[in-house]
Amino acid sequence: MMKRCSVLGMIIGLLLISGFVEMALSQPVRIGALYPVSGSLALLGDESWRGAEIARVMKNQKGGVAGKQVEFVKVDIPDVSAAKSEAERLINREGLKLLTGTYSSSLCLAASEVAARAGIIYFEQGGIADQITARGYKTLLRSCPKAQYFSRSQIQFARDFVAPKIGKKPNEIRVALVHEDSAYGSSISKNVEAEAKTGGVQLVSVIPYNKDAVDLSSVILKLKNDKPDVVIGVSYANDAILLGRQAKELRLDIKAFIGTGGGHSLTSFQQALGTAAEGVLNVDFTQFEVNTKFTPGLKEFVEMYRKMFNEPPRSGHSLANFSGTNILFDLLEKTGGNMEAGKFRQTAAAVEQKSGSTASGWGVKFDDSGQNIFADTFIMQWRGGKLVTVYPEGPAVMTPLLEAPFSK
Amino acid sequence: MELFIQVVVSGLLLGGVYALLSVGLTLIFGVVRIINFAHGELMMMAMYLTYWLFHVHHIDPYLSILIVAPALFLVGMGVQRFIIQPIFDSSALMKIFVTVGLFIALQNLALMLFKADFRTIQTSYSMATLDVAAISISVPRLVAFGFALGLLSGLYLLLKLTLVGKAMRAVAENRVVAQLMGIRVQRLYLITFGMGSALTGIAGALLLPFTYVFPTVGGIYTLLAFVVVVLGGLGNMAGAFLGGLFIGLVESFSGFYVSPALKEAVYFVIFILILLVRPQGLFGVGKGTEEVGLK
Repeated sequence: MMKRCSVLGMIIGLLLISGFVEMALSQPVRIGALYPVSGSLALLGDESWRGAEIARVMKNQKGGVAGKQVEFVKVDIPDVSAAKSEAERLINREGLKLLTGTYSSSLCLAASEVAARAGIIYFEQGGIADQITARGYKTLLRSCPKAQYFSRSQIQFARDFVAPKIGKKPNEIRVALVHEDSAYGSSISKNVEAEAKTGGVQLVSVIPYNKDAVDLSSVILKLKNDKPDVVIGVSYANDAILLGRQAKELRLDIKAFIGTGGGHSLTSFQQALGTAAEGVLNVDFTQFEVNTKFTPGLKEFVEMYRKMFNEPPRSGHSLANFSGTNILFDLLEKTGGNMEAGKFRQTAAAVEQKSGSTASGWGVKFDDSGQNIFADTFIMQWRGGKLVTVYPEGPAVMTPLLEAPFSK
Repeated sequence: MELFIQVVVSGLLLGGVYALLSVGLTLIFGVVRIINFAHGELMMMAMYLTYWLFHVHHIDPYLSILIVAPALFLVGMGVQRFIIQPIFDSSALMKIFVTVGLFIALQNLALMLFKADFRTIQTSYSMATLDVAAISISVPRLVAFGFALGLLSGLYLLLKLTLVGKAMRAVAENRVVAQLMGIRVQRLYLITFGMGSALTGIAGALLLPFTYVFPTVGGIYTLLAFVVVVLGGLGNMAGAFLGGLFIGLVESFSGFYVSPALKEAVYFVIFILILLVRPQGLFGVGKGTEEVGLK
């Protein structure tokens, strides 16, 4: 009787042990993925999530990370309080050691704070607010460009491309800034002012306006009075259209207009203005009309996107998250799947990849704040109804055309 | 100098737009004294109707007035009959709450139906201008200006010369006495609300070629229209027109010489100052007209 019991016990024990070993071997790498997929941020939140998901599926097809399959624990964070509570749940209940997301800056600020308190890595792929990496968290990494880089590109473009084209010295070129006066526009305006100073170009006027205004003729008339060569605009959807229409009506005569993502990147802007939108420039995340030699993996991404979602990508947000997630996987590969914050940041700090090495054209180099300083923003231009990458040369598919915007 | 003239012209054109969007309110609030906080939402409905007529049936916005105005007339009568009439004898405050409720309901209905997208239409004349020397005049805004002038003059004549107009003025002056004199007050309110809504509908159709519509656009228009009507003096058609022009000019000048971000602040300060000095508005006829609410 005793013997039989012990044999049975042994068998059970062996089975259990082999089960544990089996489980340990096939245990997937689990990462928390926080995106707003319902509520007002849902469209682009979902688009961002799709990019990350494609990267995961493609990675798993190639054998996963450090020999293990990757699994996302996906949660919906429609607002700030959800971002907080879901981040807490993922860390405390699910026991996750790495979180990523988020598309929206305010959601990222909330969720990454929870991660920082728990000493867990938060890998941001879409929120651009400068504040995210300015809090000194040692647990934070950001793969995408921050807001400051948008302004830097605009000033660089005015100084290095427009000035020589119109026969002016860099310090002679006149730049004006027109921005809507909510938090979005006001924070960017500070960056533009700072970048203009470091870039050594004259900022001849800074014109704030209310995005709900019924009329923006006074903005255009002020611009006419200040006679800038280049106008930098920060607008939402409707005010971008109104500004464009009134610039045309009042015959604003400038060499270049550079938007800052937002309203100037939307097809609704192009549809509402028609030919008047032709030639308007915009700085943004990498879009799809880009030199594929500079963006290795972009074609495969678009193919996979169509296969998985039966439609072409809806915006560049998916691409940014696809690239970001791949950067994250590469880092995990390097640490051998180790997610411990100190080790992870250390590994990340040692990586250096040149611009043009990811599907979005970004390079990889994380600074002390956790920001990927090789995440570049490119200048695009509305040409023939499409937003085409024109500057800098690497990712450009056309050369920028300097003809008066809003004139046709 | 050129720029100065352009600032004046732009201000006048904008003023025309403001006068236009307050025509309906001038009748409903200014004459009959029904406080309608859903004014902007009626405008929003008209703009969506114009948008869909253009988008689906390719009907020009100016032509669609023939459909939008009668449609809004019916909507306005419906609002009066089923929402305002049942609470007619309650306090003015109650009516304010009801129209505020209507405004929130319509706004959210629009959000549900049309989502928060901004919609614009592009017509051949959306960005057309008339150029006089170096001054450019936006054609659709000029049309809006013309309509504002025309509709307000028409309204003036209607109130002065017709029997309906006389009845409207009588009801505004004293509802009970008007009823005793044999005026069918309920029906008159129905007609007035319908007419005011139809006028608002016309404004919506005229505005769409050069602006945009989204579900919460109404709030902006309601506020502007109230300012124009109160500033001009309740019930005064010329006052509403001049009040509109005044605010347009103030906005244009403060936007150009102060800052576009501060133009709303500037005209509201001026608005408050004027009301402190002249509570009846710039062109109000005198004592009693400053009183708000139903009699």
